[in-house]
Amino acid sequence: MTTPTDRSDAPRHEAPHASQDDPRVMLDRDLGVFEPVPPYPPRTEREAEFYTLRDGEMFINMGPQHPSTHGVLRVVLKLDGEKVVDLDPVLGYLHRGVEKLCENADYHHVISQVDPLEYVSSLFTEWAPVMAFEQLLDVQVPRRAEYIRVLSGELNRISSHALFLGWMALDLGGLTPILWSFIERDEIVEMLASLTGQRMLFNYFRIGGVNGDLNHDFMSRLGDWMSRATEQIDSGMGLLNENEIFVRRMRGLGTIDTKAALRMCFSGPNLRATGVPFDVRRAHPYSIYPELDFDIPTRTEGDCLARYLLRMDELKQSLRIIDQCLHQMPDGPIMAKMPRLLRPRPGRAYAAVEGPRGQYATYAMSDGTHQPFRMRIHDPSFVHLQAVGLMMPGHLIADTLAVMASLDPIMGGIDK
Amino acid sequence: MTVISRGWDRLTLSGKVIFTLVPLLLALTVGLVAAIAVLGGPLLDVLAANLPIVRFAVAATAILLMTIPTAFLIIYMEMKVIAQMNLRIGPDRVGPFGSLLSVVHGLKVLMKEDFTPTGADSTVFTWAPVVVYLASVMTLLVIPFAPGLYGQDLNIGLLYFFAMAGLGVVGLLMGGWSSYNKYSLLGGLRAAAQVVSYEIPLTLSVVGLILLAGTMSLNQIVLNQAGWFTDWYVFQQPLGALIFFIAATAEANRTPFDLTEADSEIVAGFATEYSGMRFGFFFFAEYVNVFIMSALTVTLFFGGWNAPFAWPFETGLTIDPGSLGIGLILLIAIVPVILTLAFAAPFWIASSRIKGWQALIIGFVLTNLFIVGLLGAWAYVELDWVAGILWFMLKTYVFVFTFVWMRGTLPRVRIDQLMDFAWKWLLPAALLNLFVTAGAIVVLNAIDRVPT
Repeated sequence: MTTPTDRSDAPRHEAPHASQDDPRVMLDRDLGVFEPVPPYPPRTEREAEFYTLRDGEMFINMGPQHPSTHGVLRVVLKLDGEKVVDLDPVLGYLHRGVEKLCENADYHHVISQVDPLEYVSSLFTEWAPVMAFEQLLDVQVPRRAEYIRVLSGELNRISSHALFLGWMALDLGGLTPILWSFIERDEIVEMLASLTGQRMLFNYFRIGGVNGDLNHDFMSRLGDWMSRATEQIDSGMGLLNENEIFVRRMRGLGTIDTKAALRMCFSGPNLRATGVPFDVRRAHPYSIYPELDFDIPTRTEGDCLARYLLRMDELKQSLRIIDQCLHQMPDGPIMAKMPRLLRPRPGRAYAAVEGPRGQYATYAMSDGTHQPFRMRIHDPSFVHLQAVGLMMPGHLIADTLAVMASLDPIMGGIDK
Repeated sequence: MTVISRGWDRLTLSGKVIFTLVPLLLALTVGLVAAIAVLGGPLLDVLAANLPIVRFAVAATAILLMTIPTAFLIIYMEMKVIAQMNLRIGPDRVGPFGSLLSVVHGLKVLMKEDFTPTGADSTVFTWAPVVVYLASVMTLLVIPFAPGLYGQDLNIGLLYFFAMAGLGVVGLLMGGWSSYNKYSLLGGLRAAAQVVSYEIPLTLSVVGLILLAGTMSLNQIVLNQAGWFTDWYVFQQPLGALIFFIAATAEANRTPFDLTEADSEIVAGFATEYSGMRFGFFFFAEYVNVFIMSALTVTLFFGGWNAPFAWPFETGLTIDPGSLGIGLILLIAIVPVILTLAFAAPFWIASSRIKGWQALIIGFVLTNLFIVGLLGAWAYVELDWVAGILWFMLKTYVFVFTFVWMRGTLPRVRIDQLMDFAWKWLLPAALLNLFVTAGAIVVLNAIDRVPT
């Protein structure tokens, strides 16, 4: 992510233009293996500016083995004492070339290829390509399948948010909340496992429906959990919401305003925390969401606390949706009638879903064969992580990971 | 044999040194006792002539040895208590309820590779843990554990304590600086900034208490609080006690002020590059510091080894065993037998499934428990150091538990909030406490109520 971005919001440091043979760019001593400076001359203006040290500044490598970067992310921090002057996320440690893998896979295989992208909310990474392929194939998904998709998707959203809340506290040094929120996550993951067969990478959605119908084990676990979910979530999160240290650290941290957020292509809770009530479920309705009654919580502060509290509100809305799904669940088939080998007509399709992190989208092109000709995946974590460079300068090193955690990036989706 | 030699080969240098020194010290102790027994008088005379030196040597050794089980206990306590708070089970494999896990941890760090990173200043790197550990251990010298049970009764005990506590930060800074790692450096500098800042409210918060007590000797401060629990200084200095406890938390680098080793920010702070027993010393020092800070809070504000109530009865148990004559032998010979039979009888009578010999075993065990209980009660009543150490440890571990509780509950503060808190809140509050106390003493002296 060394491409120059418009950084009008961040404090701009007057950097002398450094060219390739500027001696100040490369350090005057041999680079150790731990130096974060890349072993090649700077390729862009931004890179040259970033890797030029002024008096009293130092680089520090955070990651890829740092204990609390979520996944294998490396962030090069430019520090002035404890203050972060600038930072440069270095990506690619989890790159698998998923988009290319998908182009060489059968349409059915794509689902299992995209599963590990956002490994804490896999159902949404399946949902977007499946919807795109259904548009290509012009398939009508049975209503029961749509209800099951929404039901399991919202469960997955809750489990993802629960994990976020725990991580957030862990990055601020709280040991307990992560284990408390893992209770929610574990119960949901177990019930999804009884529905889909796996705990993490579900591989559950199919083009034209879902893989299996609701079963007794899932329904009994779900009913058991729903009866106490609200109190359980409230009691678990009371540990943080009323904690003076936590609130004081989060308030006013990593603020981003609406304009900058829109310019950085924010979506999901991070955008809604700046006051824009944009939710793909309402803005570009899909599946059965138009029939369901739920609110889109927004907050105006745009700081870490707002992003955190917004996800808390979303948990309650997800519980509402699950409740309605259970009450309105129709009977019927769970798969449309489909040929075994899929050969959609040549064309293009775009589908977006509202994942726990924001707009998760797929753009697929078909050339009439049994494989997608091109497939591109838009991942919200990627654009959110890009904005860390806007939010971070001026804050302290302790807050780097808190700001990052509040954006809730998943490295699998970022590196693809 | 091969097992032993392989184990020996796996030991690091510090492990080899420790595994050699401990048996050697044990042999020396046994030899000394044997020498006293054989030579008798002359040797004892020499020792008695140099009593202060002997006392210091014994106290220092005892305190050094005491830190090991203390650290083990607190580590185990932390693992288990935080596990319960996290809705986990915690350690449950080694020993009863996993209680020996911290001992195994101790052995583990002895076995681990003990390396010095390239580019590190190896001398400073090696001595940093020693400085940290010894600084925290030496503060224990002045703490009175029970009546007469203290290393040294310095008349500037409190001052000595603060001096030694301040020395520890030098070790942290040494470790942070010499590691050749930026995270270590940040940790070391954070430690320096934090400990130096919090030392001021920590010291100022007890000045009011010093005015009240009129002494800086910890022993005398404890003696001043004798009587009922209402005589404890916490009731005369509530603000001082609060400030002291908060500042002590920061001084011991504990959550929520554990910025020096904030694992989610700067990996492990000054200890990032340490491994093996050198890391073990840092680890030990941290938990010994927790004990010391709790102990000092108890000593200063919660009556030290004083029981929270004065024993209301006269307890002179003055039996001279010699005066019993032949009766003593009869007592020793007959009473246990009678007690065993007496305890066994109800079991034998109540249940036909219990055979006679089983009832006798139960009776014997119960007799032993009864006699131990009786002796304990007698020791508590008669030997004031037994009662003292009991109450001291009880109160201290309440505060150790509070430290652990805070670690399980609170997130970490930020470095600027930490500094703001020290300089903008704790320091003015400590000064206010001092002025109010001084004013109160002056006023009360003027109307001649409290002689100081």
